[in-house]
Amino acid sequence: MSKTSESKAKALSKKTLEKQKNILEMLKSHGAKIYDDLDNGLFPKFSIPSRSVSNIVYDKKLRQYILGNSSALRSSKNTSQLRSFTQLMWLAFFANRLTTEKKSSTLRDIYYSSQAFEIDFEDQGESDNIIVDLEAVTTRPREDFHIFPEERSSIFGDLNIEYTIPGYEGKTMNLSNHPDGYAIGPSLTTAELVDTSAEIVIAIEKGGLFTRFVEEQVDKKFKSIIINTGGQAPRSTRTLLKRLHDEMKLPVIILTDGDVYGEHIAMVIKSGSANAAHLRELTVPDAKWVGVWATDIEKYKLPTIPMTESDIKRCYDLQKDPRYLDGIWKKELEVFLRLKRKAELEAFSKYGLTNITDKYLPQKLELAKSL
Amino acid sequence: MSSTKEKYDQISPSEFFYRNRDLAGFSNPTRSLYTAVREFVENGLDACDQRGILPDIRLTIKAVDPEKPDPKQYILTVKDNGPGIESKHIPLAFGTVLYGSKFGLKQARGMFGLGATMAILYGQITTNKPVTVKSSTDAQISNEYELLLDIQKNKPVVLKHKTKEVAKKGLSVSIFLEGDYSKAGSKIRDYVYQTSLITPYASITFEDPKGEKYQYPRMINTMPKPPTVIRPHPYGTDVETIRRMMVESQFEIPTIDDMMIEKVRKDLGLSKKNLSFTAIMDKARKRWKTLSRQVRVVIALMSFLKMDFEKLNKIRIEDLDVPNKKLFYWDFSDSQSKSIDMDPESQYYKQLTNTVQGETLTAFLTKKFQRVGPTTAVKFAKFAGFKPEKRLGTMTNQELAKLSESLQKYDDFMGPDPSCLAPLGEEPLEKGMKKFFEPDFLTVIQRSASAYSGFPFVVEMGIAYGGNISTRGIKVYRFANRIPLLYDEGSDVVLKVVNDIDWSRYKAKGDPPLVIVSHICSTRIPYKTAGKENVADRQEIERELKLCIQFMARKLSVFMNKRGQAEAAKKRANLYAKYVPLIAQFCTELAGKKKEPNYQKILQEEKSIESEQKILQEEKPIENE
Repeated sequence: MSKTSESKAKALSKKTLEKQKNILEMLKSHGAKIYDDLDNGLFPKFSIPSRSVSNIVYDKKLRQYILGNSSALRSSKNTSQLRSFTQLMWLAFFANRLTTEKKSSTLRDIYYSSQAFEIDFEDQGESDNIIVDLEAVTTRPREDFHIFPEERSSIFGDLNIEYTIPGYEGKTMNLSNHPDGYAIGPSLTTAELVDTSAEIVIAIEKGGLFTRFVEEQVDKKFKSIIINTGGQAPRSTRTLLKRLHDEMKLPVIILTDGDVYGEHIAMVIKSGSANAAHLRELTVPDAKWVGVWATDIEKYKLPTIPMTESDIKRCYDLQKDPRYLDGIWKKELEVFLRLKRKAELEAFSKYGLTNITDKYLPQKLELAKSL
Repeated sequence: MSSTKEKYDQISPSEFFYRNRDLAGFSNPTRSLYTAVREFVENGLDACDQRGILPDIRLTIKAVDPEKPDPKQYILTVKDNGPGIESKHIPLAFGTVLYGSKFGLKQARGMFGLGATMAILYGQITTNKPVTVKSSTDAQISNEYELLLDIQKNKPVVLKHKTKEVAKKGLSVSIFLEGDYSKAGSKIRDYVYQTSLITPYASITFEDPKGEKYQYPRMINTMPKPPTVIRPHPYGTDVETIRRMMVESQFEIPTIDDMMIEKVRKDLGLSKKNLSFTAIMDKARKRWKTLSRQVRVVIALMSFLKMDFEKLNKIRIEDLDVPNKKLFYWDFSDSQSKSIDMDPESQYYKQLTNTVQGETLTAFLTKKFQRVGPTTAVKFAKFAGFKPEKRLGTMTNQELAKLSESLQKYDDFMGPDPSCLAPLGEEPLEKGMKKFFEPDFLTVIQRSASAYSGFPFVVEMGIAYGGNISTRGIKVYRFANRIPLLYDEGSDVVLKVVNDIDWSRYKAKGDPPLVIVSHICSTRIPYKTAGKENVADRQEIERELKLCIQFMARKLSVFMNKRGQAEAAKKRANLYAKYVPLIAQFCTELAGKKKEPNYQKILQEEKSIESEQKILQEEKPIENE
């Protein structure tokens, strides 16, 4: 590791500490306000930005969905809100402990941990929802509070990282050492990105193709970092993609199945989801969707299966989304609707197992430069 | 007490009923056992009601041979503490069919006492064993009879008669009968349970064949006012009724026997003297104003016969032929029928024709009907197209039909007199329901009397909610003239009205623990079927029922609202007590403090609001208290 990268890592580490301090202070100020209310004989309350559909608007400048100005008051006096108020208080309290002690937790773990504090979540859905509330109040993603989704996405390629999590601080790792790839979990998401020889990031929808890409040494052949999003990319993966783009200055391309859901997976990486409209650091606006397009189905004469009712309905729904009003997004939706058929990434196996890496990928990489 | 003395009359033979016993509810062992219980219990209650005695009814059913399978012979005994029946009436009352005392229009549970006799008849047919009747009218001597019915002759056969010293008044009837308690049991138990609910002033005990005792002690010590016997209302009559009433109103030519002659002599002051025909007529003219109608008729007859008492004693009047002005008589002395002409100019002629032709229309109407005075009678006669002085005896069948029809059509009769009705009354009904159900909420209402087709009726109802009521959903107890209606409830007007109500509007949602007691009293309940288990949906009755239920449901909804508020306040306090300490705990650590904030202030504030609402509740825990 070079001297320059070492100092760079230290600077980044300082930045991480700064961020953590800010979060802890924010939590403390929220706590203090509620403490004072109670001490003064008042029912504590706070406002939460409204996440209802009517308050989710598309910001053209940011190129993502954001929350509008309306907010809802959550009061402990209102008995229908008392329970969720208490749940949110507990979560802030628990997030405070996690952040202070540099411990990580998963969504599922949060749900189970609550039981030790007489906080009764009916199911994980309810606790997940409260976690989103905390994000909305603090405008910080849950990962900042050390709360992560279950890991199901992975990364492979020549990238050196340096852990920041307790017990591993300063330890480095090259992410091309293990051919199964590395799970994108809390330790990886919070790690410093030290350096890389790669020139591009290829995000791919499916684990099967990810393995194929590793086997075919796509990382070496195309100087790339390969990321398996495992379907819709989890937040931690999107955070990592953003950091690879912003911090390592790497372009990001996305390969999905040739259907409307694949198209939307790419769109969410590019410009976020309505579900996370309250957060602004999860998007990679410069990411490029390179396939499989609807037009590829015809161009490459791919084997197809018919679209389902829900596929078709999804097409029409997306046509109303402002992000789908121009460019390839609009065009490909129209072609899907015309064909009423869809193709998977594996469809290229028709022309041989390595056809996708030998023929299709090089063509698309070339094309991406012009997108 | 002469006004409440029952009249006993013999009406019709038992043969007919023997052949038609199905109609009276004695079609099979199950139904018969149940019907017999009902008849005897209702007779006992009626007897007590009529004399203002708080009833004490003891019902026992015992199997003759408990080991045998059903159907088998049972001994059914019902004992009451009523006035008892005079010894001389007992054989006829229990040993003939259609011998009863419940005539006239007033509300009573049964009719004519016919049912009890039918039960005795059924028992005798199925077991060939006599009925045992024990009766004491004076609380000293009990007359005990064993009787059989002679079905062909409709006459009682007394097998045993003895007297015994006793300490209590009352009647006990015991019959053997073929029955099926395993099937009829639940029906009988329901009947006893519901009867005690609608008769809270009665004490009822029932010992069943298994030795189980069901005891329903007296819940109140006041009896509802006994009903009075009243004349029928014009709207409630038909041609047949009028014909029957007319027969009663016509004066018959009295039988001239020794007793009659003795009476005439006495009234003329001639008990000892024998006067000639002309002397008797003179005497009669002088005393005319003091003479009774019967005596006047005899004098009138004598005036045409031109006979003294001695001669009069030897003839019998056969017929009075008004159109031909002839008087026919049988002469015992020469054993032949003779006739004489009557002079229509004679004052005695009018006396006789008036007697035979009956009363004038107006007199008939005012005397025989309620709500008809002399003015109304004249107005009605004009309306119907009759002369007011028209004699009833001269009416043709067509004219009778016209009269009957007009009685229904005439709008200006006042509504029927409800004094013949005996509703339970709001207070007894409420007390009864309170002890029965111990509910959280209870309200009752008695509507004022109304009428359908000339029959007066009164509806009273009660609603009980919560408390000891364990049934889910609305349970309706239906009563008519204090008799529980146990079956066929689906087609009953009460059920119709209850089901038409949108109970959720009155805050009784889902399957509320709600009991409705409905009691319809009338001189004639409009039953839908011969089974007398369901009341027909007469518009007038339906309206009254609806008004009752709406009135009570509104009260229920007020109660439910208050209760809802109190429950909500309590729930809220519980929620605060659970969550606020947690919030305090979490924010203390978040804020980096050691000591928890003083959150007791807001909890106490909430408690004071809650207790305020509780006080409001306690002021009126039960409506109508």
